[in-house]
Formats: sequence, structure tokens, C-alpha cells
Amino acid sequence: MDTLDLARLQFALTAGSHFLFVSLTIGLATLVAVVQTWATLTRSPVHERMTRFWGQLYVINYAMGIVTGLVMEFQIGLTWSGLTHFAGNVFGGALAMETLMAFFVESTFLAIWIFGWNRLNRWVHLAALWVVTITAYASAYWILVSNGFLQNPVGYRVVDGVLRLTDAAAVLTNPAAVRAFLHILCGSLVVAACFMAGVSAYHLRRRTGEQEFFRKSLRIGVSVTLPALVATASFGGVQFDLLQPTKLAAYQGDTEMMTRLQAEMTAAHGPGDYLPPTGLVMGGAIVMLLVFAVLLFMSMANFLLMMLPAAVRRFRLWHVLLTAMIPLPFVSMLAGWVFREVGRQPWVVYGLLTTEQALSDVSPAAVRLSLIAFGALFGVLIVLNTWLLARHARRGPDAVAIGRTSLPAEPAPVIAF
Amino acid sequence: MEILLLAFYAVGYFVLGGADIGVGMLLPYLGRTADERRRVLSTITPLFLGNEVWLVAVAGVLTGAFPLLEGRLLSGLYPVVVTLLIGWIVRDVGLWTRGRVDWAAWRAMCDTAVVAGSWTVVLSWGWMFAGFLSGVVDRPLTEPVALLGIPAIAVLFATHGLAFAALRLRGRLRTRARGLSGTSGAGVTFALTSGGMALLCVSAGLRLPLAQTTADPATLALLTPALLVLTPLLVAAQVCMWWMFTRPADAHTLRNMETSN
Repeated sequence: MDTLDLARLQFALTAGSHFLFVSLTIGLATLVAVVQTWATLTRSPVHERMTRFWGQLYVINYAMGIVTGLVMEFQIGLTWSGLTHFAGNVFGGALAMETLMAFFVESTFLAIWIFGWNRLNRWVHLAALWVVTITAYASAYWILVSNGFLQNPVGYRVVDGVLRLTDAAAVLTNPAAVRAFLHILCGSLVVAACFMAGVSAYHLRRRTGEQEFFRKSLRIGVSVTLPALVATASFGGVQFDLLQPTKLAAYQGDTEMMTRLQAEMTAAHGPGDYLPPTGLVMGGAIVMLLVFAVLLFMSMANFLLMMLPAAVRRFRLWHVLLTAMIPLPFVSMLAGWVFREVGRQPWVVYGLLTTEQALSDVSPAAVRLSLIAFGALFGVLIVLNTWLLARHARRGPDAVAIGRTSLPAEPAPVIAF
Repeated sequence: MEILLLAFYAVGYFVLGGADIGVGMLLPYLGRTADERRRVLSTITPLFLGNEVWLVAVAGVLTGAFPLLEGRLLSGLYPVVVTLLIGWIVRDVGLWTRGRVDWAAWRAMCDTAVVAGSWTVVLSWGWMFAGFLSGVVDRPLTEPVALLGIPAIAVLFATHGLAFAALRLRGRLRTRARGLSGTSGAGVTFALTSGGMALLCVSAGLRLPLAQTTADPATLALLTPALLVLTPLLVAAQVCMWWMFTRPADAHTLRNMETSN
């Protein structure tokens, strides 16, 4: 593999791992914030315990999202300095806003939420979680503003071979950003809601002692999944008329259109291969849509079954299916991301800068080494996160450390999280 | 103005984040038993996330306001930045997951990750800053002067961490932390090392071609005011976090809760 392939693989690995973690983070933050709001309003003990249990799982997963996110922040400058050189004036601002308005605030308030349990006024504590949730949305928005610009460049002018910003409003309201943002936001809710339903079903099937707790959680998960799924599909559907012609042609396998586009692009940009790899683009789209179809059928059935108390209590086969559903939305998320990102190739900024032109001047040996290191590290993180989530999910609400009020006997109380 | 913002966030990171990284480096010295190590780490666990985002902010300001320099620095210093990131991740994973599994071996593994990660981060900073200070900006420093600069910067981080630990720890652990920081008192040492960190950032910044690499005026006309509005809010959030985790009433409040449950 040459440096370009290695650098693309490294970026894909980083973004893909990050995307896996954050899709659960954003959705789960929302669900936990809603549950905590209910707990704060009603002082319902079961909802307070639910906040802590699901909040603990949220925090475990958040940690993995943040460490991969740190690498993401540096990834563009590391291997794609041609992109910052060419387009930094237009899309760099969105990334800067993401780090300050979202990442910075989110992390500070998350620390306040985790360690502020039992120390802050409960309304202030609740507000901290809503700040975390809203800034997580803001983070996704700013990232998609920069990604939307790469997909569909707007509001710029080319001066001396670099881009200049001419219309910030066009960049901020770019339909390629806004529709994708809503699509991903709803998709994250599907991920988190399926996770909540699946973990709850595990406890109901095992008849652990927390029946009421997990019946309520299962109902939240199942009742959020269906509408979130429909919304995800709608915001996905409205993006089809925004697809770049080459992506659309590859997705439809339309060889005639591909030949025509290749000829047009060669005429405009000189000789080169201007078509994305058809197999990956089509494969990504098909997997995304197939998994969506499976999820939709299952969610409709789940929605009906959820209304039968006897099924929620005792229908063990259904419980097994709900738990088995947990990975499906993750698969769909990643497949959709492959469709969107691979479909843009060979362009990094569509029609303006190719991925090859954006590559930094780094040696293949250096990228190979860092790819191996990051690859191994992210592999360990994914395994570790899955193991920790499964372990804490299995142990149930009594084993939760976060927000614990009675600390074990120790000379000096130490904050736990 | 962009340069001042960059300096502000960079100094913020090296003063605040530098303290928790320094504590991580000296964990084996400060905490001799598993329980001592837990107490030492509890001085930094609530704060490290809020501290490291100052560096994320530095990266953000670089990307937005100095896109040319950002690309040049990061790709030029590729091996240094990759080493820094790996150390950073290993350290964070250790800190985040230490309390998640109740095995002595697990905690020992996480403690090792924190120490190894902290050292990797500090040595990478040393390598990068030794380069900046000797005027080498867009390639890793390979000249022998690195052998002088790297240990000096490591000593600065360690002393800074030790002073912070002395301010935050109590009893025997505090005595141990004060042992190395001298007789002038931990507060004075911390102020001095903080000044050292700021000096390090400013002298490195003076060597960087900042003024020549700013983004286009049309971009800065929007970005800079936005950053100036955000910055006081971010500082307020940080002050709130620090106030929560450093006020002395903590232990008392927690103990009350313990007995009332």
C-alpha cells in the first residue's frame, strides 16, 4: 500500500471507531437526561436509580468516545495538511467552534455531572447533564458543517489557489450538513434506545431482582426506537437528492452515467479516475438499508409486544431477540458512513481537491507505523469498551459506582465514578 | 488577538493539565501502596478531563485561525505528535477505567498505564518544545540539544505535579510530596512552576511563524469575535468545576452523607 492508502485507512479507522462510540454517547445522553428530568420532577426512586445505572454505562462509553475524539482532532493536520492549506479558511472555523463550544463545554460539564452527584443542588445537577447533551448535539452539528462542506462546497471563492469564505450563512445552513446532522442525531437515538431495550431484556429474561426497573427501561427503549427509526430514514431519504452525481451513479451501478461523468470530469480537471469504488459504495448503502428494514419490522413488532404486560414480563424468546438487536444499529451507522465518505472519493472537497492532493508530506514508513499503533490501540479500546459495558450492564443497578451515596468505610472519602 | 487566544489556551493547558500529568509521572513515588495510589489519583481524576480540553481548544484555535501552521506543525512533527497522542490515550484509559473493575491486578495495570502514558506525554512535549526553542519547527529535533531540553522540561512537569500534589494531599502523602518541592511551601513552588510553564509556551510561541500563518481576514472577522464571546463562558465553567473539586468542605459533606444513609 502507498502512503495515500495507509493514510486513508488510518483516517477511516480513527473516524470509524470514534463514530461507533459517539453514536451511542449522543443517544444515551439524551435518554439519561430525560430519565433524570423525570426523576428530578417526581423524586421517583426507581428513576433516580435508572439515571445512575444508564448514566454509568453512558460514562464508560463516553471515555472511549473522547479518547478516539482526541486523535480525530489532530488527524486532519497530521495526514491531510493539504486540506487545511487549501480549505482551512472555510471549514477550519467550524472545527474550531466544535472544540471550544462543544468539546470543551461538554467535557467540563460532564466532569461536573459525574462528580457533582450529591454535592450539587439536584436541579443544578440536572442542568449540567442537559448542557452535556446539548453540547454533544452542537459537536455533531459543527463536525457535520465541516463534513457537509467537503461533500457539497458552498459559500467560498478560490483566490490564489486557496479557498476564501464568502458566505458563512451558506456554510452553516448547507443542506448537506443540516440533513445529515438530523439523520445522525436520530440514528444515535436508535442506537441508544436499542441498547437500553436489549440490556433491559437481558435482565428480564434472567429474571434478576430488578423487574420494575427493567420493565420501565425496556418500554423507554422500545418506544423510542420506532419513531427515531422512522425519523432517521426520513432525514436519510431527503439526502438522496443531494448526492454527488458520481456517488449516485456508483450506488445505482449505472455504468452509462459513470462513463459520462468520468468523461465530463476528465474534461474539466484533466486525466484521472474520478469514480468512487462501486463495490464499497453500493455495499455500504445496501447494508445500511437492509439493516434498517430488519430494524423497522422488528421495532413495529416490539412496539406492539411492549403493550402486553405479560410479554414484557415473560416472553423470553422476545427478550433474546431484543438483546440480539443491540449491534444492528451500529452496523447500519457504520455502513451509512462508508456510503457517504467512500462515495465522495477521489475527492476530499468534492470537485475542488482530491484526496491525493490533500495528503501531507509524510513517509509511508511513518504512516505504516502509526497505523499499526493506532489500529492496535483502537482494537483494544473497542474490545475493552464492549467488555466493560457488558460487565456493568450484567451486574445491574446495585453495582453502580457513579453517584453512590454511601461510600465504603475508608479513612478519607474518595470520589468514585 | 488570535495569537493571544492561542497563548491563553496553551498556557491554560500547560498549567492545569501539566499539574495532573506531573502527578501521573510521580505516582510510583507518591503512592507506595495500592491505597495510597488511589488517594493520589483521586486528586486528579475529577479534573483531568476538564484540564485536557484546554489542549483540544489549542488544536481548535490552530485549525480555525492558523490553518497553514496547523498542517505544517502536525505533519512536520508527525512522529512526535503520534507518540504524544498514544501516550495521552493510554494515560486517559488508565484513569477512566481504573475504578471500573474491582481486581488488584486491574488497578495495577491501570496505574502502570497512567505512569507510562504520563511519561510518554511529557517526553513528547519535551521533544517538541526543545525543537521549538532551538528554532526547529517543522521536523522532529534530532540534534544533541534535545538531550538537554527534554529532561529539563520533564523536570518542570514533575516539579509542577509535585507542588500540585502537595497542595491537594493530606497527611503522610503530603509530607512526601513536599519533600522534593523544597521548603518554600507548595503554593510558592506551584506559582513558580506555573510561571515556568507560561514562559515555556510564550518562548515557543515567539519561535513559531504565527503572524504569517493566520487565516484569511474574512474568516477571522467571524471566528475571532465568536471565540472572544465564548472564552469567558468557558473560563466560568472551569472556575465552577475547580471550585467544586477543591473546596475543603468536600470530605465533611461526603462523610455527612455517609452517616445519613
